Amino acid sequence: MKRNNTLSVALVVLALVFFVVAGLYAVGVLQFMVSDPSVSHHYTHAILFVVLAVASLIGANFARSKGPA
Amino acid sequence: MGLLQGATELFPVSSLGHAVLIPSLLHWSFKQSDPSFVPFLVLLHLGTASALLFIYRAQWVDIISGFFTAAVRGRIDKPSERLAMLLLVGTIPAGILGVFLEHELKSLFASPVAAASFLTANGFMMLGFEVLRRRAEKRVAVTAMTRVEQEESFAVAEQISFKAAALVGACQALALLPGISRSGVTIGGGLMAGLRHQEAARFSFLLATPIIAAAGVLEIPQLIASDVPLAEYLAAAVLSGTAAYLSARFLLRYFRSGRLDPYGWYCVGAGIISLALLTFRP
Repeated sequence: MKRNNTLSVALVVLALVFFVVAGLYAVGVLQFMVSDPSVSHHYTHAILFVVLAVASLIGANFARSKGPA
Repeated sequence: MGLLQGATELFPVSSLGHAVLIPSLLHWSFKQSDPSFVPFLVLLHLGTASALLFIYRAQWVDIISGFFTAAVRGRIDKPSERLAMLLLVGTIPAGILGVFLEHELKSLFASPVAAASFLTANGFMMLGFEVLRRRAEKRVAVTAMTRVEQEESFAVAEQISFKAAALVGACQALALLPGISRSGVTIGGGLMAGLRHQEAARFSFLLATPIIAAAGVLEIPQLIASDVPLAEYLAAAVLSGTAAYLSARFLLRYFRSGRLDPYGWYCVGAGIISLALLTFRP
């Protein structure tokens, strides 16, 4: 991956969005594409978005300029 | 069912397809709508995941430590770190598609006839993967004499691109269709990415472990809450794990020089025979 601070910032923002979506699924506010809308907490979806958030943060760290070696 | 699940989960012949077809063909009193079915399946999956973790225990230690090292450092220095990131990239598409589409796909296609049709399609896919692979072998391995030498001219799992890992991972989502084999499509995807057969199988098994384990662990609360004969179910899980262990050992040895063809022909035959039995039986 090429070092790119803009991409790094974008991935951090994306990670924050994923964390928020994970929280919304966990507390039951978000009911988008769930198998059983009668269940209030969708922990599987929440875990998925936490994983996506962590993956985005890892991507951001890879994309971040580390300065001269 | 434990033996069947453990063996068919890793063989490229679709465990879900067999789990739908065999009870229906043999008139077992076993129904997927039964409240005890999910806890039962959970334990079988945990048995399979345990077997895979045991086989690759040393590699998983390297992968996990490589994952944290590379993630914190922001750079990949070692093959185990690259493999860890490839597995992360490969797991994400399957996770997204699995979480959002599993329920819809399973409810749409959970009939024995659909499973038999997809099993036939799975067989043709395996055969198609091998046709494409033979073409690639003609291009790159003209001087190789034996199958083992031919195989050695292809890549190991740590060498594939991240794009290829994502595509192989996305292939896993096809296994939500009963009759399509997770290991079959991921081994086939690995072959298309230029991996050796044995390495494609290794990457497939490593890729499957977190998904199978996570699917099992997430259902544990349901297992605890349900009133099921736990001792019998645990015995089935041990059988499933043993069958998965033996299957993985066999397949890794087989794929040193073997191909997907026999499994492809088996799926085509089993799918067509099942379709005929389901259509014409009294």
